[in-house]
Amino acid sequence: MNSPIDLHPAALLGVRARPGSQALFRWRPVAGKVLLTSLEGNWLLLAADEFRRFLEGDVPEDSELHARLKAGNFLRAHFDVRAAADRIRLRKRFLAGGPNLHLLVVTLRCNETCVYCHASRANMDQVHTDMTEETAERAIDLVFRSPSPFLTIEFQGGEPLVNFKVVKHAIEYATDKNRAANKRLQFTMVSNFALLDDEKLEYLLRHRVQLCTSIDGPEKLHNAQRKLPTQDAHQRAVHWIRRVNEAYAAAGLDPTLYHVEALLTTTRETLPLWKEVVDTYVGLGCKALFLRAIDPFGFADRTRQRLEYPREEYLRFYRNAVDYMLELNRQGVQILERYASIFLTKILRGEDPNFLDIRSPSGAGIGALAYNYDGKVFTCDEGRMLHEMGDDTFLLGDVRSHSFRELVGHETVRAMVLASNLDGQPDCVSCTYQPYCGTIPTFNHKNQGSIFGRMRESSVCAVHKGIQDYLFEKLAEADPETLATFDRWTTVRERDHFVQPATSVSE
Amino acid sequence: MTELRFDRQLYSGEAVDQAVKAFAGFAAFELEQTDAHWVVRVTPRDPKLARRLLGELGNHALGLTVQRGGAK
Amino acid sequence: MTTPIADLPAGLAAADLASAAVHLLVDEELYPLPAIYGAAYVFIDRCYVFLDRPEGARVRVSLAAKSGAADEAALRALVGEFANELLSCAFRHQITQDNRVLIETATMQALAGAMGQPSLDDLAKFDFSDQGFDDPLGIAMSWEEKHGKKAPKAESEGAP
Repeated sequence: MNSPIDLHPAALLGVRARPGSQALFRWRPVAGKVLLTSLEGNWLLLAADEFRRFLEGDVPEDSELHARLKAGNFLRAHFDVRAAADRIRLRKRFLAGGPNLHLLVVTLRCNETCVYCHASRANMDQVHTDMTEETAERAIDLVFRSPSPFLTIEFQGGEPLVNFKVVKHAIEYATDKNRAANKRLQFTMVSNFALLDDEKLEYLLRHRVQLCTSIDGPEKLHNAQRKLPTQDAHQRAVHWIRRVNEAYAAAGLDPTLYHVEALLTTTRETLPLWKEVVDTYVGLGCKALFLRAIDPFGFADRTRQRLEYPREEYLRFYRNAVDYMLELNRQGVQILERYASIFLTKILRGEDPNFLDIRSPSGAGIGALAYNYDGKVFTCDEGRMLHEMGDDTFLLGDVRSHSFRELVGHETVRAMVLASNLDGQPDCVSCTYQPYCGTIPTFNHKNQGSIFGRMRESSVCAVHKGIQDYLFEKLAEADPETLATFDRWTTVRERDHFVQPATSVSE
Repeated sequence: MTELRFDRQLYSGEAVDQAVKAFAGFAAFELEQTDAHWVVRVTPRDPKLARRLLGELGNHALGLTVQRGGAK
Repeated sequence: MTTPIADLPAGLAAADLASAAVHLLVDEELYPLPAIYGAAYVFIDRCYVFLDRPEGARVRVSLAAKSGAADEAALRALVGEFANELLSCAFRHQITQDNRVLIETATMQALAGAMGQPSLDDLAKFDFSDQGFDDPLGIAMSWEEKHGKKAPKAESEGAP
């Protein structure tokens, strides 16, 4: 009888592996078991002894293990090429789509000063950093050249409400263009809400603009990190979150589906406050929380010493927060973690939710484009931020002088597609999580000097691996309530209210 | 005057030429070829900038060589 | 004056504190030249990089800190970082050769999918006059060019 094997790589030298019976697989110890993943992203958790038998080609055809391996397409003799191809095609469906996310940075001016500011903000008197109506129109003309049938125009800044006139003009111009183009067009706005008033809110609600804001956790932390002269950034954001959510409910929209989305940026100060952060979001009626780690762009670069943290600390924070969220879900409180939702959709559903930073190749230039206030176009918002920091590596062109195909066909886009393809990346090529993961060329460039990066030293890789390790530990535990929560976290419910109403060309 | 010897198997001749042209305003240059090297003799106009000039020239030649796909 | 680096095999790397530089000897059979280029290039923003070949199949990489000053620990770190980048580049060089078809297919699909069909404006701008087009079978010739009536020859002098 085979004895259990030690999963330490050195100990595996004692296994008499017989290659030939196995289809391509990658493996990793998780929670005392062995996680296998296949080329097409199927996965299986094996006990150590089962893993040894798989490696040694000693799996009787009438055994339960054989049935599981065959079902997962891990056996060469029974490898189903068509099934593998279909799975890969489904996972890579986004490749044919074209840029669906278009970020319009309508101004760099901002009324808040945030310690980790992503955006290289400008002071409120720097009106030359406002996008003009003409530039917005040229940008939107390019947006509609995208072959994607789904278009999301996301207004960003600075603080986009500072240049509300152009936001309105862009919405009306795009809506008008869509009468002929007939795309599934949506608008979103990322705002600190401090400049909202009843008139602006009424306009945004009437035009079905999805509203997103930032909440850094409890009031004290939020106000310390996101500074208004009136010192009440949190209170203002909370006030308008409640107003928007009330307006959705009054319009008869399902509050579990329609509510303000809030984003978190995790700084060193956030790490001990995982429970308070989750409670704050739940208290505000938020149904999703994105536990984003800090990144190296904008102000965050200058204040890195104060705000940054080893990724092991972040992962401890992540585990604590998500464990708590799972417990809340058991109590009937609906709250979802966005990273988990993204990875679990790929793991459990075999689909790609098309989150542009976690896919291979990444979405920079082919899934998203960023249009700066002055008309310059970039592969992504991080590329635009690097431009504001003096680095033009990710500049593609200008809305006035370049066609859509010139922008998307730019050699920089090609380079980023190549650099973010995990089939060409050391570490990723043999990583168990390769079917589900992604790398960020702009992050690699900023932190490691090349768009390829070195994953073994990458904090993004550490975070992705750490989160997936956590999720597979939960899957290995197979607690029914956790699995039910994971199922809800991967169930997509369309929010059709935010899709601009279809109008016929004749109207 | 400093002599830089760019190995012909490692640096493209056109890249070295282009790098020299790019820095023409900062030094006097003499160029020579041997079987094994592109030889560049550099006399900086400002001796205080010598280290930086020579270093940037080398980087420029390397960058242009890489852009060309190698020394071929 | 160069001095060996303590925890590295003799002859493989040396440091020159006065010039804030390190010199590494790289075996081209382990690290192909494209990988050496790739790794060297990553450092040109903070180092002056020079390559030479002191002996066959070995490339010496010299990295001099642009700041002009570096202590022993910083130079040792530079060697380590370069070595890691070199390994990464060499490994990537191998992987991209092995997975070339997969990578090319995904890249073509990604770019073609993102660019979409050319518009009439794009086609109007397309340069069809490129002379590099070989057409031995005359496929690009119009029917008239191939089969149409030939123009009458001009009358020659002295013809009756």
